[in-house]
Amino acid sequence: MKKYLLWIGLLFAAATAWADPPPGYPFVDYNAGLAAARASGKPIFLYFGRYGCAWCDHTNKKTFSDPALKKLYSDHYVLVYVDSESGRRVTLPSGERITEAELGVRLNAFATPLFVYLTPAGEKIVQIPGFKTVQDFRDYDRYVRGGHYKQQTLLEFLGGKS
Amino acid sequence: MRTLALLLAVLAWPAQGAWQWSAPLTVNSVQGAAIFPHLESANRRGVAVSGDTVGVVWEDNRSGSPQCYLATKSAAAANFQQEIRLSQSDCYEPVVIALGAGRFVAAWEEAGKVHARVLPGGATLKLSDIEAAQITLAADGDTIYAAWAEQAGRFRRIVVARLMLKADELDVKTVQPVEAAMPSDEQGWPALALAGDGSVTVAWEDRRNRHTVPMVSHSPDGSGFAAPERLTDHMSGSVDGLGAGTGAMRPALAAWGEQGIAAVWLDKRDFLSGYDVYAAFDTGTRRFGKNVGVQDSFGDNMAQWHALIVGAADGSLVALWDDARDGTPDVWLSDWEGEAFGDNVAVPGAAGPGQQSDPVATLDAAGSLHVVWLDRDEAAGTRIRYARAKRK
Repeated sequence: MKKYLLWIGLLFAAATAWADPPPGYPFVDYNAGLAAARASGKPIFLYFGRYGCAWCDHTNKKTFSDPALKKLYSDHYVLVYVDSESGRRVTLPSGERITEAELGVRLNAFATPLFVYLTPAGEKIVQIPGFKTVQDFRDYDRYVRGGHYKQQTLLEFLGGKS
Repeated sequence: MRTLALLLAVLAWPAQGAWQWSAPLTVNSVQGAAIFPHLESANRRGVAVSGDTVGVVWEDNRSGSPQCYLATKSAAAANFQQEIRLSQSDCYEPVVIALGAGRFVAAWEEAGKVHARVLPGGATLKLSDIEAAQITLAADGDTIYAAWAEQAGRFRRIVVARLMLKADELDVKTVQPVEAAMPSDEQGWPALALAGDGSVTVAWEDRRNRHTVPMVSHSPDGSGFAAPERLTDHMSGSVDGLGAGTGAMRPALAAWGEQGIAAVWLDKRDFLSGYDVYAAFDTGTRRFGKNVGVQDSFGDNMAQWHALIVGAADGSLVALWDDARDGTPDVWLSDWEGEAFGDNVAVPGAAGPGQQSDPVATLDAAGSLHVVWLDRDEAAGTRIRYARAKRK
């Protein structure tokens, strides 16, 4: 049991050493997330953060601290955290191997946090930069899991509200 | 809009005339929609010129796993010779430097350890016994240094080795961490430069301050390193108790002039416009001074990526990177003009429709600039392209 707890502690320490996902959420790395999404059929919620990012910290404390939002996203998405400055290797659905930092280039990320919704196959549905509220994330969830992205842009779905 | 673009092109024309470019050549002999070449490496040292021979290294997955390759071209040859494979198992982030007379040293990560080899000939030497990655090289004559990120407890730290060259073989003379203390957070992506006075400068990205900061250290002779200092003069921290500071990553170094060292890196101090390229200079005092923005005002609102700097003993200094200010990624360069970086110039052949990115470059002994980049085409596959430029 002690050994088990030690391993959990080490894994947690390793995770916190790399980046800052919101605490208590079952975030996994990109490769594990893609595999889990294929197996489960759940869409992916990709949190593209940066080590030490103030707006990520603000979003974690202000928005992701909401227990109902935590349940909604933990139950219905595979949660993936990517560190925008990391050299950790990820394999894209195309089979290309790049680093987490290079994923930012491909996403044309200009600010963090950046939130990307992906199909279970890893295809991008929509990406949204910057701080967002609990209600924003509830709206994005309706857009994604409701399948509205197949017919409408996010702005059209939200009725022009950004 | 078209008129404005034409006007801007006309205004930029004098700057484009600074370099006279050769027609681009393709370096990699195998391409395909599912083959993905990469030019990524610590200090972006993917091309070198040895005598009249150009050497280019990269990694691709043509064999079904990531492997590292070297292709060479002599000045008399019309094209690159077919590449040779450097690795046997999963290989990443290769670098190459010139030894002279057509000889090179290449280094790479393979199976979680770092390796080096003299080419042509030479046997592969494993440089690390424990997990290591992101190796880079620098040489001044037969004096060769390597730096890499090596596992030390929970985190990686920067290690510098002096290598001895005997005929076609390498031997490790010394290996030492830049800091004796165990790292308190992650370190990686080292860059090396050897100044004209024989001193060694190493820069790397460092997370000890809970955000990513490029750090730098010097050694007069490679036998011991000074306490690290920040390359960035922008001191950021938490805002209202949130976060720890803005990010700056992937430092690159180049020896420059008689005793100088120049550095560039990607810097997010203006956090709403992505990373910008910033530079700093050590003119021989072994201290880096005020930071200087590299991209011009046309690039300020765009994210820059894959920055590097190349220099020469005659004082030439050129920064390169890619950005998408014209709609798609293009390779850009800017000459240091003594007080500031000059107009940003798109590299012909590495600009225009399509995606041209990930430059690596070097200046040869005659002052010619050699640039290699990725030309992405999702259907036909990615080509590695090469062009040489002479000053007019």
